[in-house]
Amino acid sequence: MIDFKKYNLDNGLRILIHEDCSTPLVAMNIIYDVGSRDEDPEMTGMAHLFEHLMFGGSQNIPDFDTPLQMAGADNNAFTNNDITNYYLTIPANNLQIGFWLESDRMLGLSFSEEVLEIQKKIVIEEYKQRYLNQPYGDIMLLLRPLVYKVHPYLWAAIGKDISHIEKVTMTDVKDFFFSHYAPNNAILSVAGNIKNHEDVISLAKKWFGPISRREIAVRKLAMEPVQKEERITEVEKDVPSDVLVKAWHICRRTEKDFYTMDLLTDILAGGESGRLYSSLVRDKKLFSDINAYLAGELDPGLLIINGKLMDGISFQAAEEAVKEVIEDLKKIAVPDPEIEKVKNKFESSMVFSNTNVLNKAMNLCFYELLGDANEVNQEVKLYNRVNPEMVMIAAKKYLQPDNCSSLHYKSKKSVK
Amino acid sequence: MNLKRKVQPEIRPVVLKSIPDTELFRLKNGVPLYLIEAGSEELMRAEFIFNAGQIKENFPLVASTTNAMLLEGSLNYTAKEINNAFDFYGAFIHQFAQKDSSGITVFCLNKHLEKILELCCEILFRPIFPEDELNNLQKKRLQSYLMNKQKVQNLASDKLFESVFGYSHPYGKQVLAADFKNVTTDKLVNFHTAHYTNGELSIIVSGRIHNETKAMFEHYFGEHDFKSGIPDKIDIPINGSKNKKEFIEKKDALQAAIRIGSATINKRHHDYPGLLILDTILGGYFGSRLMKNIREEKGYTYGINSSVMSLNQSGYKVIATEVGKKHAGETLDEIYKEIRLLQTRPVELREMDVVRSYMAGEMLRMFDGPFALAESFRAVWEFGLDNKYYYNLADKIKTIQPDEIIGLAKTYYNIDDLYEIIAGSA
Repeated sequence: MIDFKKYNLDNGLRILIHEDCSTPLVAMNIIYDVGSRDEDPEMTGMAHLFEHLMFGGSQNIPDFDTPLQMAGADNNAFTNNDITNYYLTIPANNLQIGFWLESDRMLGLSFSEEVLEIQKKIVIEEYKQRYLNQPYGDIMLLLRPLVYKVHPYLWAAIGKDISHIEKVTMTDVKDFFFSHYAPNNAILSVAGNIKNHEDVISLAKKWFGPISRREIAVRKLAMEPVQKEERITEVEKDVPSDVLVKAWHICRRTEKDFYTMDLLTDILAGGESGRLYSSLVRDKKLFSDINAYLAGELDPGLLIINGKLMDGISFQAAEEAVKEVIEDLKKIAVPDPEIEKVKNKFESSMVFSNTNVLNKAMNLCFYELLGDANEVNQEVKLYNRVNPEMVMIAAKKYLQPDNCSSLHYKSKKSVK
Repeated sequence: MNLKRKVQPEIRPVVLKSIPDTELFRLKNGVPLYLIEAGSEELMRAEFIFNAGQIKENFPLVASTTNAMLLEGSLNYTAKEINNAFDFYGAFIHQFAQKDSSGITVFCLNKHLEKILELCCEILFRPIFPEDELNNLQKKRLQSYLMNKQKVQNLASDKLFESVFGYSHPYGKQVLAADFKNVTTDKLVNFHTAHYTNGELSIIVSGRIHNETKAMFEHYFGEHDFKSGIPDKIDIPINGSKNKKEFIEKKDALQAAIRIGSATINKRHHDYPGLLILDTILGGYFGSRLMKNIREEKGYTYGINSSVMSLNQSGYKVIATEVGKKHAGETLDEIYKEIRLLQTRPVELREMDVVRSYMAGEMLRMFDGPFALAESFRAVWEFGLDNKYYYNLADKIKTIQPDEIIGLAKTYYNIDDLYEIIAGSA
């Protein structure tokens, strides 16, 4: 249970405050409601590149990081398909430094050409390091355009191609900033050693209050049409073993089915006792490892299975074995103890996540973005409501072959 | 409103108050149980540490395989039953086999603690190492080994250990693909008997501790009779390689991995806190000299860092980065340039202030919450040290002077001592 107070500034900034005095620190988290789905298809990777620029100095403060280091703080950020999230933890007595810095970069950036050129280079090295120069690093880059044909989820947050990052100009950067970065497009949470909520609200009014609302670009995303037939694509790469990736379209994050699908995913792959691991790794020895997860998007997202084949096992055998596990979910109700197991696991993940004020700050912002921060405390109830019948119905609804895309990521060395 | 945004609000000193004490409680059989009361959630982190690291193995992979096999079947439960039980109670289990020690860490809700302790006792002391599970596990591990050997960062790091500690020292020994099939059940049983069953166990517990907590640990871990607890002090000599520079070819690699490092002192040495501060200035945080130079000024890399690590019989320091392949040469020059600067020019006061404050903040984070507290306790306990080490470090962060940093840089960053490993395409 996260107890919090909500406060709205006149300029549209929403603020969530949670007190936890078991720590000497305060976590500050800001979500900007902009991600790679909001990018121009010809300039993908922009939201993430922009995140880098947010550390390159703001309108009145040339250096973002040094004052934070002086204040004993730690900070970072991430960008995904839906959001850009900035966070820091700071000793409670220096909280104002966080407000000073975060508000100034919401007000305006330095917009320095030099910073832009350097950050482009760094992001290109990041692209190579994380996606191109790693075995299997490009799986999501290959999978997304197979699964999505029109929705901007068809590209990853890092971008479709290095050339998109190379061609970004300062005009693009400014346009992006003024159409997405604004108090009325952001949510701020402050969690930790806060003695008095009023102090936090005064700080927020003082530093964020004077920033004017901005006109936010209207989000008009192409809806992904229903997939009508199975898609399979094959690539061959210099990797040690074959990998099978399968993805099914599922519901939005805010639909009730999401919770059912999340537990269904845990039944498949929540720990080593999950059905996929237990049956296909342990019993049948077809895979050396296999996992399933929800990609976690806000718009209709994906359930993804990713398995590494044992040497000498064909894609056909692997596909059939996965199919059998999936079909079981549709035919036989999941036994009660198995449902109880995944619910227990969820409950303990929640408790563990709440030991950390930064997690709590991030969760508050995220649920507020979904519609209401209060929902963070309803999660356990929503998961507990799921029953075996709901799992079976959801499996039938979403885990259809026609709704599935598969990537056969072949090792060049494998001779079948 | 007249808001002076250009003026930085006052920064107040970051002060580490007292570190919570750890209670030592000895079980009937002498096993030390360290208890750290922390946090507000009803949960527990329990770490079971055996003196059973790679340093104890006579054959490659035996320490890590023994550890990995703990969940693969025991006297009373099959592998499936064990994994199902941990998952059913919502527990998370982390297995580790490091250079000096091996063991498991479990995280669970207090309401399931008793059941989880029973399972831990079962897997730690009654594993049966079934042949079938072993074969399967080794196939999986070989696959992931082969994958890691495709990453330039692993190629370079592995080579660095071999060069620094020598190929015959347990810290430097390299695993070969052929080693996987030579791990037999016999070797595992022998290793387990010597270093788990008759070994040396310590337990570190943190979270919400209750009256019955000690009794539960006593029940499951206090009865076991550890035969001898052979206190061995094997000091194997470290003979680093003669070749200070190595290049490992990885065809078509887009980036080159660079590792520069050498053996060094560990936490028991009085210079260690100073060396940590020096290392932080060089490459230990986002505002470090290497990050500013190689990333933020030149854009050659996504990241570069340096770190100092302690091992029981030694320590090592390493500078690590992956850079676009055409920038490898220049990156090396810049790294050595930064080291020389630290040896010759006093660090300016402004930079000293930044590093002092940043490190003081890090120290707050090191003792924030039950998990961080347990990790920080372990990090000194395994060297026979206690919280005095941290108070010393905090004091050193406050008081160290630029001339002392020059002295440390000359002593511990002698460029002739450093190994330079590059993995990438030619």
